[in-house]
Amino acid sequence: MTAVRVAQVLLTAFFFGLTFEGIGRKVTARIQKRYGPPWYQNFIDVFKTLTKHGWTHGWIFDFGVLMALGGVIATLSFVPLGNLVAFPGLDNFFVIVYLFTVGALGMAMGMVGTGNPWASIGVARALTLMLGYEVPYLIVITSMLYFYKTSNISNIIAAQGEIWNIFRFPIGALVAFISLQGMLGKEPFEAPIAPAEIASGPMVELSAKYMGLLMLMNTFMEFVEISLFVDFFLGGGTYFVFLLKYLVVWILAVMISAVLPRFRIEQAVAFYWTVPILLAFLQAFLVINGWVF
Amino acid sequence: MTSFTNNIQEFFERLKTLYNVELSEIDSKQFKIIAEPDKILPLLAYLKEIGYSHLSILTCVDWIEQKKFELVYILFNWSNGITFLVSTFIDRDKPVFYTVKDMWPTAEYYERDVHEFFGVEFEGNENCKKPMILELWNDLPPLRKDFDPLKYSKEHYPDREYEKDAIHEARIVRGDIRGDVNG
Amino acid sequence: MSKIDERSVWEKIADQLRSRSMWMLHYCTGCGAVELPPSMTSRFDMERLGMGPMATPRQADIFLITGYLSAKTLRRVIYTYEKMADPKYVIGFGSCTINGGIYYDSYSTINRLDYYIPVDLYIAGCMPRPEAILNAFNQLMEMIRKGEANGWKRYKENYEWYKQNQLRSLGEVIVHDEFHE
Repeated sequence: MTAVRVAQVLLTAFFFGLTFEGIGRKVTARIQKRYGPPWYQNFIDVFKTLTKHGWTHGWIFDFGVLMALGGVIATLSFVPLGNLVAFPGLDNFFVIVYLFTVGALGMAMGMVGTGNPWASIGVARALTLMLGYEVPYLIVITSMLYFYKTSNISNIIAAQGEIWNIFRFPIGALVAFISLQGMLGKEPFEAPIAPAEIASGPMVELSAKYMGLLMLMNTFMEFVEISLFVDFFLGGGTYFVFLLKYLVVWILAVMISAVLPRFRIEQAVAFYWTVPILLAFLQAFLVINGWVF
Repeated sequence: MTSFTNNIQEFFERLKTLYNVELSEIDSKQFKIIAEPDKILPLLAYLKEIGYSHLSILTCVDWIEQKKFELVYILFNWSNGITFLVSTFIDRDKPVFYTVKDMWPTAEYYERDVHEFFGVEFEGNENCKKPMILELWNDLPPLRKDFDPLKYSKEHYPDREYEKDAIHEARIVRGDIRGDVNG
Repeated sequence: MSKIDERSVWEKIADQLRSRSMWMLHYCTGCGAVELPPSMTSRFDMERLGMGPMATPRQADIFLITGYLSAKTLRRVIYTYEKMADPKYVIGFGSCTINGGIYYDSYSTINRLDYYIPVDLYIAGCMPRPEAILNAFNQLMEMIRKGEANGWKRYKENYEWYKQNQLRSLGEVIVHDEFHE
């Protein structure tokens, strides 16, 4: 049964991840008064890249791409999608955070292995940005774990009951959403990708199937990040309710990104380390004193 | 404004006596100064000293009938907005001049540019003969008037062959020349 | 039907996908780059055809060369073209790529792009309007679906001929640049 559930989680991430990305592109287009691509455009993009004939840049590159995709798939299979949990009892926050670095490091290794300076700059920016958003995010999440005295995500979903955490920890939810924007690499925290500035950064040397695999990896990564947000703050729910909440969070993030320009990397880190980190400390202070709704 | 104009008239008189230059007015803010080749370096140094310190460009004009190259130094003064076009004529058959890169470091690239497009050498600029814009050029410097760009283009960059000479036919239709239009 | 036009079933399916998701590298060193923003933004919106600008040659499918092309730029264009992943399509944009345009007698611009790299489609005009660009993209999509846009195969098959032409006009394709060595 575990295999079936893992397959269900992965297929959900593949199908709905790409569909929601397509819907996100449509939303961006409508905000810019364009018609926009069809909702299935991202499927075509991924499959098209798989039909092209590309180049490898040595075994470090190959291995890095596989490690990135494999690491993210491993992470994804531990994330509970509402009440769909592939490994019941193992959906621990620390397991997910630990596995999450495997994918990120695989990507960093493979992309630096191309030898292109833009890729190194992009990876360096991505890691710098990570320093920025991880600190406030982890402060909020650890204060939540302290409040519920568990790090099991399913337990946290169950403990929320009728009152979602977004109402119990409004400040924390705001901080987590700002951090989520950085995790997704959406504007204004788009500096690691920056197509016109550093030629799409880490992806600069990716051709054909490597590009396709990295696009899938990116989709899965977004799925992990938004799923965590929905589980922690919006109370999970059944499979379809979960997807609905996911879609709302995703479209909100897309709408914010569609109207904002880009922070420089040092501005982004400076931003994260002033307002969100102070709010996160405030939330932690409230939780420690027991002042929670 | 009048005092400024008076000042500039005085200034021109001084230039004429000191450097034996010809002066002409292009408009109220632009003046052309023509000087002898051996006076040009002291003149430029003097102008730089009194505020005309921005070398906008150094360029060259090919006067093929007089067998002269005219070198033009365009100087700009940021405090009063006046531009001087300081020019001098050098021999076209033996185009050698002196560098000004010690006065304006940017001039090194202008001189390389002029060398590449006109073949003028600048003594003292050791990088002057390095190729800069044209890669692997092996013909006459291309902006000289005796260089035939059409011939060069025909030799190096093959054109598309048309079955029908559309421009010729268009001229016939317009009545410039007589002839038949096929189809 | 020659060998170059033969496609397996998979290739036919792949061509359907390729025609609906074309990522474009626009090499706008000449004029004409200004015609692309209107075709990308809300007036004509090429993203509804699945097209979009891409930052690097590795990711791109279409190579759009706008306006005149100097011999110096042609070296970089050949570099870029050979860096792109197969299948790749080239669009020559504007009359300068067709026959030199108003630069037909220039010592530094080439007269005919398809002499050096295979061109799948030309857009005539000086400059072509965004309507013409969108029309050309539709035409290219149609050609890809029918398997007619096979410039990348022709480049492989006639590599010697293209190389010889490049060497004839350029002397040497390798770029020697004092600022990057």
